[in-house]
Amino acid sequence: MNEDRCITCGDVGDEMTVVSCSRGVCAAADGTHHEVELSLVDVRAGDRVLVHAGVALQRLEVDA
Amino acid sequence: MRFVDEFRDPELARGLAAEILAAVQPGRHYQVMEVCGGHTHAIYKYGLDDLLPANVELVHGPGCPVCVIPMGRVDDGIALAHEPGVILTCFGDMLRVPGSRGTLLEAKAAGADVRIVYSPLDALRIAREEPDRQVVFFAIGFETTAPSTALTLMRARADGVANFSVICNHVTIGPPLRALLEAPDLRLDGFIGPGHVCTVVGAQPLEFIPQEYARPVVISGFEPLDLLQSIGLLLRQLRDGRCDVEVQYSRVVAREGNPRARQAMADVFTLRPQFEWRGLGLIPDSALALNDAYADLDAERRFALPGVPVADPPACQCGDVLRGIIKPWECKVFGSACTPDHAIGTCMVSPEGACAAYYEFGRLTRTRETV
Repeated sequence: MNEDRCITCGDVGDEMTVVSCSRGVCAAADGTHHEVELSLVDVRAGDRVLVHAGVALQRLEVDA
Repeated sequence: MRFVDEFRDPELARGLAAEILAAVQPGRHYQVMEVCGGHTHAIYKYGLDDLLPANVELVHGPGCPVCVIPMGRVDDGIALAHEPGVILTCFGDMLRVPGSRGTLLEAKAAGADVRIVYSPLDALRIAREEPDRQVVFFAIGFETTAPSTALTLMRARADGVANFSVICNHVTIGPPLRALLEAPDLRLDGFIGPGHVCTVVGAQPLEFIPQEYARPVVISGFEPLDLLQSIGLLLRQLRDGRCDVEVQYSRVVAREGNPRARQAMADVFTLRPQFEWRGLGLIPDSALALNDAYADLDAERRFALPGVPVADPPACQCGDVLRGIIKPWECKVFGSACTPDHAIGTCMVSPEGACAAYYEFGRLTRTRETV
């Protein structure tokens, strides 16, 4: 998580991986788990999402 | 994007810089505005401005919600923090934004209960844990952040968390850009659009720019190669006589945005008739307030706030920086009386403010190049 950035001014989005949809838990790139609101996206465990201010805004496509 | 390095490859960056050079007309001076503070930060962190031809000038826009908060709204937040029994929650960068009589950080030092959160959902959790206290969230941000506040309010309503409320300062991306395009003292050739705002709103809110003002827009990601590619795509539109909203950041941004996020916002918020933007004055339809259905969770209706507009300090030239009229190093107090450790204006407070970015990455003095 970008703790040295202003998340609003930087329009910061963190790419995370969904660990559990039922518990709303995602894993950040450094492996830490975070509570994330997933109601704005259709995802399954293992999907990657863009997270801003604790909310997933977009499901990210898998790289080709 | 699985590997960050591929978007920071210096060899690829040089290739994109060469494509930019091939797209520009010699003798023409281009002014391209990057709207988002995150883009400003990345441009100077990676020295992208040094890769651009001398006749391509980057103009920094007002896409920094901390930077555009007027001092009077900060005073309202400080007044809330001093209300008996209130816990005032906010994002970290709001702590050092100066009001007319100090900052939230100074209020905290004086005994007010001010707490940093990383999400409004964290503020709601505090309200559940402290049922005898009033927890207020000082909401800021563009449409990227507004959905998180909307969802939090919906959850507070659904779960009956009555000791929670929001003072809403969410702003919208289109109206300030229209205000800049109408300004007689600013001539812009095109815009680098905010990537994560557009993840929510899509491309449509920016389409008035090519349609009504004949300026192209490229919605960009935040890595160095994203920005270089976006500047290249913009210059190519100008060269080819095209004028569209183009999505460079297609790995994240869908042209239709996130309809569910917009519905959450529509369920909770209403557009304010006007809102004061630091440096830009009053802009119609540019900010959100809680609608009547959520009046009981609106801190502006629950508490008596000063609500007094406050003029910026005379020495502060943040307004001219936010409107792109001057560069940070052209401000009389940049780097002297105004530094990150002792900020007079908001452009120096936020890490993504233009002044903070210039200061941090060593752009302390420059001269304007005329081409």
